[in-house]
Amino acid sequence: MQFGRGKPAAGAFFDSDFSTIDCVLAQALLHGLQGKNDCRVAIVTMSRPNLAVAGFTDMVERYYRGPAGNFAQVPPTGMRTSGQPGATSPAFTDPFALKKEDGTPRFVNHVKLVRDTGDPNTLFRNYMEAQYDKNGFFILAGPATNLAAALEFRGMKELIETKTNYLVAACNVEADVAAAKKVFAEWPTPIYLVSASIPFPGASIDKEFASVNPDNPLITAYKAYKSMPYDTPAPAMVATLYAARPKEGYFKVSDPGVIAVRDDGHAAFTSSAQGKHFNLTVDPEKQDKVIQTWVELASAKPVIPQRFRPPVAADGKKEEKKP
Amino acid sequence: MIIPKALPRRTFLRGLGTAAIGLPFLDAMAPALRASTVPKPPVRMAFFYVPNGEIMDSWNPSYEGKFQELPRTLKSLEPYKDDMIQIGNLTHNTGRALLDGAGDHGRCCGSYLTGIQVKKSLVEIKNGISFDQIVANEIGKETRFASLELGMEDARQAGDCDSGYSCAYTNNLAWRSETQPMPPILDPRALFERLFGTGQPMTPEERLRQAKYRRSILDFVTEDTHKLESNLGPTDRRKMDEYLSSIREVERQIERAEKDNKQIDPHMDKPYGVPADFAEHFRMMSNMIAIAFQADQTRIVSFLITREGSSRAYREIGISDGHHPCTHHRNQPDLMEKVRKINEYHVQQFAGFIEKMKTTKEGDRSMLDNSMIVYGAGLSDPNAHLHEDLPTVILGKGGNYFKTGRRLLARRETPMCNLFLTMMDRMGVRTEHFGDSTGRLAGLDMDGLELG
Repeated sequence: MQFGRGKPAAGAFFDSDFSTIDCVLAQALLHGLQGKNDCRVAIVTMSRPNLAVAGFTDMVERYYRGPAGNFAQVPPTGMRTSGQPGATSPAFTDPFALKKEDGTPRFVNHVKLVRDTGDPNTLFRNYMEAQYDKNGFFILAGPATNLAAALEFRGMKELIETKTNYLVAACNVEADVAAAKKVFAEWPTPIYLVSASIPFPGASIDKEFASVNPDNPLITAYKAYKSMPYDTPAPAMVATLYAARPKEGYFKVSDPGVIAVRDDGHAAFTSSAQGKHFNLTVDPEKQDKVIQTWVELASAKPVIPQRFRPPVAADGKKEEKKP
Repeated sequence: MIIPKALPRRTFLRGLGTAAIGLPFLDAMAPALRASTVPKPPVRMAFFYVPNGEIMDSWNPSYEGKFQELPRTLKSLEPYKDDMIQIGNLTHNTGRALLDGAGDHGRCCGSYLTGIQVKKSLVEIKNGISFDQIVANEIGKETRFASLELGMEDARQAGDCDSGYSCAYTNNLAWRSETQPMPPILDPRALFERLFGTGQPMTPEERLRQAKYRRSILDFVTEDTHKLESNLGPTDRRKMDEYLSSIREVERQIERAEKDNKQIDPHMDKPYGVPADFAEHFRMMSNMIAIAFQADQTRIVSFLITREGSSRAYREIGISDGHHPCTHHRNQPDLMEKVRKINEYHVQQFAGFIEKMKTTKEGDRSMLDNSMIVYGAGLSDPNAHLHEDLPTVILGKGGNYFKTGRRLLARRETPMCNLFLTMMDRMGVRTEHFGDSTGRLAGLDMDGLELG
């Protein structure tokens, strides 16, 4: 994209409970996609009240966004303050023990208290207002708790409809059935539900990740999550890659339909031409390509975001914002 | 039981011509022997707005909770730190670009009290009603002036003051409606005549007549004053004496400024009552705010100390560069130091006003205790034009409500409008939403004290 012309890449709103390492890899993948100008990471939010995990995701954001400067502020990580904190894997704490050669910590945890995070709804609202109309998307990797709460927030439904195009959900329905029911019933844009997954190759951590950038905090996090070697299911990465590159044909998309969540947590899909829900499944022929893309993008070195300037019309005048 | 008739709260000393002087809260205004019915002094609120942000490393202390040593910029408020809360992390999202490009100064001032993203335009002005005016609409009928809007610099209402934003946005804080700003009064003389006259500025002929005979506004109400004082107790008489002396002092300051200005340049454009000296100007304006509060002339004041984006030079403290250019410091230490000095200088002036508020007694408390005086800016780091962690301190307890003497850190990105909602509660105006508020600001109140 030529700098200063047209809309910027779509703004990505990434919400997760970060309960699996796949969600962390998806966050890295999202930044890799941003580095290729396929999206801009607007905000990362977490759907459980766990300061240690929020500290880790905040650190990952700072790692990818670089030092705060005039045009590259690091927004706070959004964190839900009610509910259960859940488990804290060593994946989220071990990277903070890493030291530089001079003995100082390689990564600093800036999240000590709840006030070091942001309210997810406020962040959704504030950062959606900064997007051009229909130039954003949501990714859900985990329970739909935060998104259901957003639907209750004043003016949010209209804002989601105005500013974003779709939600791609690797939804843990069982973790919060009521929230999932609400989101599938009321979310104002199309929803793509990840219904199958591809395993992420753990061997890439010591190969591609380590060779591209040995300082990547994900290397330590992945190794601390489980005894190596291991591959991991990666529905969050499926959701992320599809959300940022929907036209690449990496995955199979069903005909439109309606997804209804039952009380037992089962999500049932019914075809309907008027429906705005879609099932996202794996295309076996594209599986290798998907894995290759994941590894390449998630292991990439940080690309510090640049300031986007408002579009300039052909006559050189600033484009007027539509009311 | 004998219950003497109380003096009405809205008693004025009136005289011939244009004089009408409100009174401070006197013991005689409460019926004797009925202490339980003594009316509580009103809660007031004021906003002292400084432009171009602050150097944040000299504004924010490195700690949270009870105040220890105040940071450099706030040092002048050290004697009043037990009456102060410093709030961190408040954000005005509507001051951000939100696709409108450059113009942070225009946006941040325009949206400061409205919580609305202003329309980027030089002619099609569009903002929203500011929250002080919502309060003024509700309670303003209880005072002579629903609100007062003051400033010290530029009151232009048209033209381009920041990258396509009308001067209406940079030069006003209060907005009566989405298209009607409330321009500040800059001239101390005009403010004086508004407060102690009929509410309207005097005509040149009236002013000349008064000047010719060198009479104080107090001379016009002498008869009323004597009549009233003969019915007051010793405490009230002392209070009246202090109050009238403070009015006379302001009047003298204005006369002095007018005399000095005539000597400097008899053809000067700005009103003769505006002193050349910044500190003197500030002192006059803020003294009149204190008097207006004391006499319950108004309970709501907004004071745009200088306009947003101001390039005023502060030669009186050795800074001949403009304020705004200095704030684009690109982290150069010499420029940052100049901005720090300007920031300190502003707070020093403000501290003088707080001293007056604190030493003015109201019952067994001070007038400061019954007030919420916000000192703040619409930008934090001016070099980066940031709209988060806005510099904000509140002086006063808002009527025994705020737990002062500490630094309170709100959650990151907490809307500034959440503070405004809480302040509206304290002013007796209950509403569920304002601007981009997401709720009321938690943690301001005293432990165990219910909002009421």
